Amino acid sequence: MTVSAPAAELTVGRQGHYAGAVSRLVAFGADVGASWGLYTLGIALFNTSFKLVTGHSYNLTNHQLLALIILGFWEFIYFSYQWAVSGRTLGMAIFGLQVVTTEGAHIGVRQAILRTLSLALSLMFFWFAFWGIIFQRERRALDDLLAGTVVVYSWDARAARLRWMARTENAMHRRVPHPIGREHDPERGRHAAS
Amino acid sequence: MSPNPVGARMEQLAQALAERIVPMVIEAIDIDALIDRVDIDKVVSRVDVDKVISKVDVEKVIERVDVEKIIDRVDINAIVEKINIDALVEQTELGSIIARSTTGILTEILDVIRAQGVGLDDFIFRWGNRLTGRRRRVADWPEGPPLLVEPKVTAGS
Repeated sequence: MTVSAPAAELTVGRQGHYAGAVSRLVAFGADVGASWGLYTLGIALFNTSFKLVTGHSYNLTNHQLLALIILGFWEFIYFSYQWAVSGRTLGMAIFGLQVVTTEGAHIGVRQAILRTLSLALSLMFFWFAFWGIIFQRERRALDDLLAGTVVVYSWDARAARLRWMARTENAMHRRVPHPIGREHDPERGRHAAS
Repeated sequence: MSPNPVGARMEQLAQALAERIVPMVIEAIDIDALIDRVDIDKVVSRVDVDKVISKVDVEKVIERVDVEKIIDRVDINAIVEKINIDALVEQTELGSIIARSTTGILTEILDVIRAQGVGLDDFIFRWGNRLTGRRRRVADWPEGPPLLVEPKVTAGS
């Protein structure tokens, strides 16, 4: 079965455009999951190491304030480091998003840190902080407005299109001889079905 | 031959003399020395190459060339053996295109998910504009930052 390539106007034609609410929300969800997973893994590794070295077990759940401070620090590092390095977090990379300046240039360390702190503020005032993604001219949330950033679609859509084309080409070359002598064209079959 | 018998004999004599003398003269000439004295550069510089080329019917020349015969004489395998594939892949985008074109199903799924996300983003954005009743005004809004997207050219501007 050959699956048709996504429409070019939704992929190649949208690179650099302001990203919308759904992509950003899903990417943020992926980041929360990834950062939480890494935090849990880190805590488990720390507990195991502590037990191996000292012989005593140390459970961070018994020290909730400390756990909260460590989590907050970890989230700060997770977002600010990744934004400073490449303008995108793990979740944003998966969903093809990037944080850039309002002009479209790469953001610096200062903006990355400011955006991370602003994100915390946005989460605190979430009931109005994120409406800008839908209603604002440049689709900027509160954290974007405070940090002077925007979020754009940014993935290698051209390579993705080539990949689809290469796959379609392969499918064309793998034409199966039809029982009554005519060639079965998978491409034609796909278009007929769609 | 001439109708005058004297003239005819004179003509025969001249013919016989020429047959004897011309080879002797040719033998006596040192062709190499003669060529050495000719300034080839000067001769060539006087040739109007453009004029010569304009007189050549290239189409006719091409028609007379048997391309298939030429191709048959070319040793394709020898040429292919001389190509440094590694250098070719390193120096061009070919390597990355091949690598990207042959990656697994996971990246293809990602392509679809990203495109679906863009579609849903548009859907939400359209509904947001309907709710606020600004569908026409949004048409003039920028699609992206100026460094990444060309500004829109609207009818009014």
